[in-house]
Amino acid sequence: MRRTGLVYDERFKLHKTGPGHPEAPERLTVILHGLEAADLLPKLIPIPATAAEMRWVETVHSPEYIHRFEQACLLDLGELDSADNQICPQTYETALLAVGGILNAVDMLMEGKIDNAFCAVRPPGHHAERSEALGFCFFNNVAIAARYLQIRWKVGRVGIVDFDVHHGNGTQHIFEGDPNVFYYSIHEHPSFAYPGTGREFEKGSCSGLETTLNSTILPGQGDEEYRRKIMRDLIPAFDEFMPEVVLLSAGFDAHVADDMSDIKLSTEGFSWIMKRLFRMAVQYADGRLISVLEGGYSLDVLPELIRNHVQILLDL
Amino acid sequence: MFIDKSMTRDVLTVRPETGILAAQTLMAQNRIRHLPVVVEDDILVGIVTDRDIRSAMPASILSEAEKASEERRLAFMKVKDIMTANPVTVSPAQTLEDALLMMQNLKVGAFPVVDPEGKLKGIISMRDLTRAFVNVLGLQEPGALIGIVVENEQGQMKKIVDAITEQGVSFGSILVSRVWDEGKRAVFPYLLTSNISKVKNRLRELGFTLLDPMDWYLDQLPKR
Repeated sequence: MRRTGLVYDERFKLHKTGPGHPEAPERLTVILHGLEAADLLPKLIPIPATAAEMRWVETVHSPEYIHRFEQACLLDLGELDSADNQICPQTYETALLAVGGILNAVDMLMEGKIDNAFCAVRPPGHHAERSEALGFCFFNNVAIAARYLQIRWKVGRVGIVDFDVHHGNGTQHIFEGDPNVFYYSIHEHPSFAYPGTGREFEKGSCSGLETTLNSTILPGQGDEEYRRKIMRDLIPAFDEFMPEVVLLSAGFDAHVADDMSDIKLSTEGFSWIMKRLFRMAVQYADGRLISVLEGGYSLDVLPELIRNHVQILLDL
Repeated sequence: MFIDKSMTRDVLTVRPETGILAAQTLMAQNRIRHLPVVVEDDILVGIVTDRDIRSAMPASILSEAEKASEERRLAFMKVKDIMTANPVTVSPAQTLEDALLMMQNLKVGAFPVVDPEGKLKGIISMRDLTRAFVNVLGLQEPGALIGIVVENEQGQMKKIVDAITEQGVSFGSILVSRVWDEGKRAVFPYLLTSNISKVKNRLRELGFTLLDPMDWYLDQLPKR
């Protein structure tokens, strides 16, 4: 069994999105119950969530945006940049806690105290751009973690794999010019799903070095297509890139039971993906992997999916 | 949606007396295929295209000697010898749709834009139109597309817009495909939200038929 850290804090539920919003605090409630019921909590190493230092958030977001976000919460404006991004007065602090928790996981990973980690955080991050909140996201958690790895821990090559069913426009744009961070996303085809980006011809804009790759999945497709494209696109690309640490933007909304998309990935399909990603991390990054929750909105299947995900991390 | 807004203003031009080899170089270096031909005060007198230049080049089947003599002759040829005089033009006050339809009908790739005095103000090409319509379709904004089949009757659009607005969702754009099926058209709202499932459910509740891209895909699968 591996030493798997868990970033979780009750305070992540303080970010309230209002009635009927899919990105609800209940998602974390059911996830925790699932881990509890499977008796996994005692096996996980708890990682505290502390407010992230501003200088790390500023490696990704503009000071103007950070200030605007804080003000919007202080003034209880209800939303930031669009009606999708519902906020309450606690949202800003919660977002900082989420980032801080993930950075604590990075520290423990790089200090050798854990082998990998799962971060059950809210709000999600991969749609957040440098100066804009988008798609329920405010701070780009995974992007900040990648910058932290580069600057604080001097990691040469960071690989990001995003299997949330929506393209992580924020993460892709943030690392577009950086040949040392590889952004890979597999998601529903942008002509049929939010946010309408992530086409297969988007390869990154860095002189000669292509460190952006997108695989698109058509509505109605599932396990087979995911398998095919991950083998065809991701595996050879990371074989070339050889990441030293792997970060996952782990969204679970591609599941057939999740109605945020028309993709039909099964529970077994998710397990296959995670096992293959894990193997890839072991091969190039010494198993150093941190998985961060993004989307996934079906309260029915989330518990089982996260349980399976964490069991794979624990190597159970 | 006026041509004035989308046209290219810094137009490269040539004179009627410009040598065609010089014109060819100008096109190649700037990766353009149309050069308006102007006289004093930027008055437009013609247009020369890369196709005109290619037609003037010696045929590759000629012998070396024949080619050499052709090339000497070419060195003296001027743009005015091969240009299209009095080309089809558009005015800055015309619209992008005008340009689009004209391009379709006349099978031409670009139009010089001139004012009522015949002075060149810009050029509008397929490239400019593509950029303008990508913008109009709102493809650069994050959003999600849905497709709705509606009867060809009055008031359908309003019902759709109201239903969507009720959900607090903003529109990026709406496209309508005028002929979809017998007596039906298809409406494609591009919505600036990630949460389209509640919009879709509401539309279904109201009795609208949503286009399911899965239907097309399932049709493509081999039948078992």
